[in-house]
Amino acid sequence: MSEEVQEKIVNVTINGKQIQAPSTLSAIQALWHAGYPRVKSVGCLEGVCGSCRVLVRKGGTAEVKMALGCQTLVEEGMEINFLVFPNPTHHTYDLKGIPNSWEVQAEFHRIFPEAVKCRHCHGCDVSCPKNIEVERGVQLATEGRFREAGELFVECVMCNFCMTACPEFIAPNHVGLFARRATAYFLFRPSNLIRRLEQMRQGQLTVAPGDDT
Amino acid sequence: MTKGIPYSEAVSRYQAVEERPLPDGDPDEAALLARFHPDNFADSVVDLKIGPNQGDRCHRALAEMLQADARIEEADLAGAPVVETDVLVIGGGGAGCAAALVAAEMGAKVTLATKLRLGDSNTVMAEGGIQASIDKNDTPRQHYEDTLKAGHNLGDPELVAAMVNDGPDVIRWLIQQGMQFDLDKYGDVMLRRAGGTSESRVAFYRDYTGLEMMRVLREAVFNSDVEVLEYSPAVELFADQSGDCAGAVLSSLKSFSHVMVRANAVILASGGIGRMHINGFPTSNHFGATGDGLVLAYRLGAKLRDLDSFQYHPTGLAHPRHLAGSLITEGIRSAGAYLLNAQGERFIDELKGRDFVSSAILRECAEGRGVVSSKEGIGVWLDTPRIELIQPGLLDKKFPKLVQLGERSGIDPKTKPLLVYPTLHYQNGGVRIDADGRSTIPGLYCVGEVSGGIHGRNRIMGNALLDIICFGRRAGLHAAGRTHGWNHKKVTMDHLSDHRRRLTFAGLDMDIKSPMLFPVCAKFDADSDYDGFHKSRKRE
Ligand SMILES: Cc1cc2nc3c(=O)[nH]c(=O)nc-3n(C[C@H](O)[C@H](O)[C@H](O)COP(=O)(O)OP(=O)(O)OC[C@H]3O[C@@H](n4cnc5c(N)ncnc54)[C@H](O)[C@@H]3O)c2cc1C
Ligand code: SF4
Ligand code: SF4
Repeated sequence: MSEEVQEKIVNVTINGKQIQAPSTLSAIQALWHAGYPRVKSVGCLEGVCGSCRVLVRKGGTAEVKMALGCQTLVEEGMEINFLVFPNPTHHTYDLKGIPNSWEVQAEFHRIFPEAVKCRHCHGCDVSCPKNIEVERGVQLATEGRFREAGELFVECVMCNFCMTACPEFIAPNHVGLFARRATAYFLFRPSNLIRRLEQMRQGQLTVAPGDDT
Repeated sequence: MTKGIPYSEAVSRYQAVEERPLPDGDPDEAALLARFHPDNFADSVVDLKIGPNQGDRCHRALAEMLQADARIEEADLAGAPVVETDVLVIGGGGAGCAAALVAAEMGAKVTLATKLRLGDSNTVMAEGGIQASIDKNDTPRQHYEDTLKAGHNLGDPELVAAMVNDGPDVIRWLIQQGMQFDLDKYGDVMLRRAGGTSESRVAFYRDYTGLEMMRVLREAVFNSDVEVLEYSPAVELFADQSGDCAGAVLSSLKSFSHVMVRANAVILASGGIGRMHINGFPTSNHFGATGDGLVLAYRLGAKLRDLDSFQYHPTGLAHPRHLAGSLITEGIRSAGAYLLNAQGERFIDELKGRDFVSSAILRECAEGRGVVSSKEGIGVWLDTPRIELIQPGLLDKKFPKLVQLGERSGIDPKTKPLLVYPTLHYQNGGVRIDADGRSTIPGLYCVGEVSGGIHGRNRIMGNALLDIICFGRRAGLHAAGRTHGWNHKKVTMDHLSDHRRRLTFAGLDMDIKSPMLFPVCAKFDADSDYDGFHKSRKRE
């Protein structure tokens, strides 16, 4: 391990602007470093809010990849373009509208009718900056295996790349989130929590401010 | 020049060892805070010259924003579109979403305006977890006492009691929204212990608690009747004929124009101030954490409190540079990671209150026992390899986000310690509220990090996520009850002329505009896209 990371200065193009910046900076930091303002589509700066969506082409290659701008360190010859304002999905649902856990699968197909039309084109997998097995998640959800499907989406930041990539308008990330939410809503019944709620309901443990007992 | 031991030398000296002793003797905690806590740095605090907290102590950087000119004038609003709603929620983090969901469920017409994308927030970044007394050995009473004690007994007992009593029901409500928690093999909620507390009380989902909470709440909001206005920071509040809060002006970053929202109640949930970089510290906070809510509430006349008290989280990453300030969850110390100075010695009980632990790290660095990584970079070791030694596999299983952070830094936390330094993390103070989230201005509710009084002068891990949902729900419920009939005869910004008069009398700088809206590094005030908006000349 070197103690002081060697800072190379690299040439990159961001949103069409030629920029020189140290290689230890992210795409967003490089833009700021070069004196350009940027507030749109910036968010947590730690890779969890999914806002700073960029298209990246590495120097000397033709392949364009989707990535998060705060997680992409600039490299010599890189070309980066920011995307803004993802469109919302057209799927809507209310968990409370699902009468009981036997009905989840039927409701799922009603809410996400496109999911069964998955062409297995891998578009979603390729676009996911978090390397989630999105396509498999959609498959599992259509089979009603919601808990397993949801497990695949643990690191999903809802950047919507997979949604943009999907030719069938499946909104795979929302499928994943539905699977996760339905699992919690119908299957999580922690006995330690339920016991405590019952004690609270009976007023046994309620704290009144200021009384020292 | 920072003194200490160079990185390469310190890292070659380091070895993972199962047990290391604490230094002998009880440390003098009061002296440690007095000498090393950044709240006590010389010259960092001033007295406010104008406004409801005139004469109170306030951090210099925050005072500059509270005592600045508005970004807007009445004339700017000519022709601006008007939106009418029952409840206007400002801020799309956890507190705002909880408030909006509950108010909408109560039948109110709810509009939620947020600066960036719904969910860009400190909430989404939270890792460690959320407190609630659920364990059979634990009680709300113990939670109450731990919270007050950690806050140096300066918290408001009424607020703390409300919060601890709501704790278990908050967890249930979150599960009903579809949020997952880590469960044990019997399906019980797993709990870990936070620094400075007496019982295991922190419920969590891996080290992604905030991400899980935020994506679930965002999805719930988008699937509700709440109208969401993204990229629409609030820049000023409206008052009615009697000074009650009656709505807000939004500056749309999409349409480059102002929107007037008239509302019966406003719930301000705009979060913290990390990106003000108080005392020059790096921060763990998200991009939009610039203290806007404090400014808006203060100008309308709301009382604030504890404006000189901030939390510095002990373990921000100090190396490499592009990740400086990134947070490493306290959960890692609960799991057994020591803090070590450059000589490989422990120097503080790692699970003491955050203010003590941060002060101790600053002391080690100031006294030459830190590890120096570059010109500005200094820190101490977070001994993650010890966890791998005593509980192999735990890091991968329970701390995936940390393992990833290691990958991005080129350091494997299973074999090499991480260099850490305190990072500006949390605003302890804020707008004074009651147990329904009401500020001192009728019609204005303030919930989440923008509010003050719950955590006294120091907060324990997991109490913020609880506080935002607890008071978010309470404010949503109460505000929805205010919505019968329209009670504002007049909707104005008359308070601004008073404010400007006071600024002039006090000889304050009218060239500075607030709220800040975006961190200085993003150069918002120089952005030609937004020429139509009032700029802060000081910051161009
Ligand atoms: C890295 C990190 C880790 C943390 N870990 C934990 C933890 O493990 N446990 C815990 O309890 N707490 C933790 N905290 C603290 C906790 O996450 C926050 O205090 C809490 O989430 C704040 O919630 P909030 O809804 O009040 O504010 P936020 O979640 O920050 O949301 C505020 C929202 O308001 C918006 N906004 C700001 N200004 C304006 C404006 N002018 N107009 C419109 N909208 C505006 C913002 O863009 C944002 O969307 C952590 C904090 C950080 C930064
Ligand atoms: S699953 Fe889709 S939304 Fe989630 S991180 Fe991957 S690409 Fe982004
Ligand atoms: S992009 Fe859509 S159609 Fe293609 S594999 Fe993914 S879910 Fe299926």
